[in-house]
Amino acid sequence: MHRAWKDMAAMAAAGALSITMVLSGCASPANQAATGGSAKPAVAPVKIGAILSLTGSYAGLGAPEKRAIELEVKRINDAGGVGGAPIEVVVEDDATDAQKAVAAATKLIEKDRVVAIIGATGTGGTMAIRNEASRAGVPIVSMAGGSVITDTFDANTFQTPWPNRVVVAFTLKYLKANGITRIALLSDSSGYGKDGHDVTVKQAAAAGVAIVADETFNPGDTDMTAQLTKIKAAGPQAVWLWNAGKEAATAAKNLRQIDPSATIRLVGAPGNGRMEFITGAGDAAEGFTFAAGKILLPATYGAGTEEYKVATSFVDRFKTAYGVAPDIFAGHAYDALTIVAEALKKAGPGADGAKLRTAIEGTKGLIGIGGTFTYSPTDHNGLSEKDLVVYRVSKGTWELAK
Amino acid sequence: MHAAELLQFVIAGLKNGSIYALVALGFTIVYAATGIINFAQGEFYMLGGMVSVFVLGALKVPLAVAIAGGVALTVVVGALVERLALRPRRDAGQLTLIIITIGVSLLLRSVARHAFGANELSLPAFSPGPSVMFMGAAIERQALWVWAITAVSVVGLWLVYEKTSFGRAMKACSISHEAARLMGIDTARVVALAFALAAGLGAIAGAAVTPLTSTAFDVGARIGLKGFAAAILGGLGDFRAAVAGGLALGLVESLSVAYISSTYKDAIALVVLLAVLFLRPQGLFGRMAKEKV
Repeated sequence: MHRAWKDMAAMAAAGALSITMVLSGCASPANQAATGGSAKPAVAPVKIGAILSLTGSYAGLGAPEKRAIELEVKRINDAGGVGGAPIEVVVEDDATDAQKAVAAATKLIEKDRVVAIIGATGTGGTMAIRNEASRAGVPIVSMAGGSVITDTFDANTFQTPWPNRVVVAFTLKYLKANGITRIALLSDSSGYGKDGHDVTVKQAAAAGVAIVADETFNPGDTDMTAQLTKIKAAGPQAVWLWNAGKEAATAAKNLRQIDPSATIRLVGAPGNGRMEFITGAGDAAEGFTFAAGKILLPATYGAGTEEYKVATSFVDRFKTAYGVAPDIFAGHAYDALTIVAEALKKAGPGADGAKLRTAIEGTKGLIGIGGTFTYSPTDHNGLSEKDLVVYRVSKGTWELAK
Repeated sequence: MHAAELLQFVIAGLKNGSIYALVALGFTIVYAATGIINFAQGEFYMLGGMVSVFVLGALKVPLAVAIAGGVALTVVVGALVERLALRPRRDAGQLTLIIITIGVSLLLRSVARHAFGANELSLPAFSPGPSVMFMGAAIERQALWVWAITAVSVVGLWLVYEKTSFGRAMKACSISHEAARLMGIDTARVVALAFALAAGLGAIAGAAVTPLTSTAFDVGARIGLKGFAAAILGGLGDFRAAVAGGLALGLVESLSVAYISSTYKDAIALVVLLAVLFLRPQGLFGRMAKEKV
């Protein structure tokens, strides 16, 4: 009798405590994006994981991705969530480190029981978490552009940026059309840099472009003068830089230093479509040419089109919330979250990983920021050269390259 | 290889080398006064650049004032690190103190990440303009500044150590704290000043390099490692050795890109460092430590 009384008291106390916690919403706010629209706490939120590089080399990429995710989670929840349930994104920082990305994936899968993972920010991180996610049957939508992510096919892994195989083919055509047939490669030793390097080496000859020098550097390096001196001696018409981090600005400045009259053009990749690159490189960024999606100049979507409306609506909301225009990385995060959210609407908020994976694979004609996504059982990227344009830096900003 | 190209490689090596040298000087100063390696030295370099950028943006003051502000604030941080983190545990043994400096470096990095954001930041060049051409090789104007700052720092340090009572007190501390204290030297003050001086040098280097390389909250770890390697390569505890070690490390890196491969640049530099330590444990230019009686 006495004992049963005690048990009941304990249960009542625990109950009261848990109700208080739910009402005050004190579930560890430290690293979680808000669920937003908390008016109806009755339905348990659908948890989605996000593995972002908020620190380390790719910190400048992870930060806009996190902003875009927070913005969109709030919008989706304010509009009623997915199938009546709100979504909640649990954000983990992988510090641009593949090992930490794996640890984050394990935590998201085992502890937070997420139904899908958005991420990672980088190619290396994405490749590292594929096994972990496949084993648990949790689909991944990556925001990294390495071709390897979808070339070495994994039924469970999807990709939102234009893969390097598409970017390289598109850029090579532009170079050839502009009479540039002798190029040098300057790539970093990260997953993205290596992937871009390898894809370029594979495609260049067939496109009629010769690679006359091939140099590398490490993420974190602060001077590439030596590599560029060697490159200059080989006499290329352009240097193709493969790097998505802060080193790109240094490379641009070093090139301008040893080639003051800018006889050698500097070419890059979508990973350089960040204002920080232009500010960091200053005058040395002038003339820098790279292919990327249309978000940098929304007019390129074609005014009045559905794509234009989706993009400008996102740009406006992002500007209102953060005071700056979104870059391509914010766009990749928007796309990744939208793809998962739309699939959840189709599969229902109670869907498990396998059902959700099938629903993501069924994505068809979804208008996003990076392009219009149509996945299939053999294509988990779904973008093509028509989603790209060539930009050229002029007077401290991007303009469409002629 | 043409002479102009070789000269360009040498210039690149000397440019990076003098940056390493400035950081190595910071290690040397603290080591000379305390006998410990201050692993937060790279963070002083980071703070010098980051705070200068922040002051320039927030207060809209001239560049020179912003950099003076950045360096001054870092000096204060350096002195505070000594006062708040190291002095309370100064009798705990060198290993404990070294571990404390590692903790301090992580703390400073996190604080900078939250205070200044994760993106890379940059400063305008001290004297903008195209590179200076010298016998067919291009030298960035900012590199001339870095060289000048290194030269002034070395001469300044030499004057402080040889001509002032503070310098003599530092020397005394490097031989024996106990004896220095018995001779009436305020050793705590000497150590605090050494930290402030090391922080100031690191900050000047960080601010001078920011126009060349941009900066970010996480640049300290890598430059700290390079500066440490340079200090070891030259021989810990001697200014001229630190500078020589820095220049040597920069040259080895640059020439290994020229003649071997850019892929193995860092590995080659480390192999050279190991080789030197096997053959000359006191460093290239260091004197063999004598048992002081």
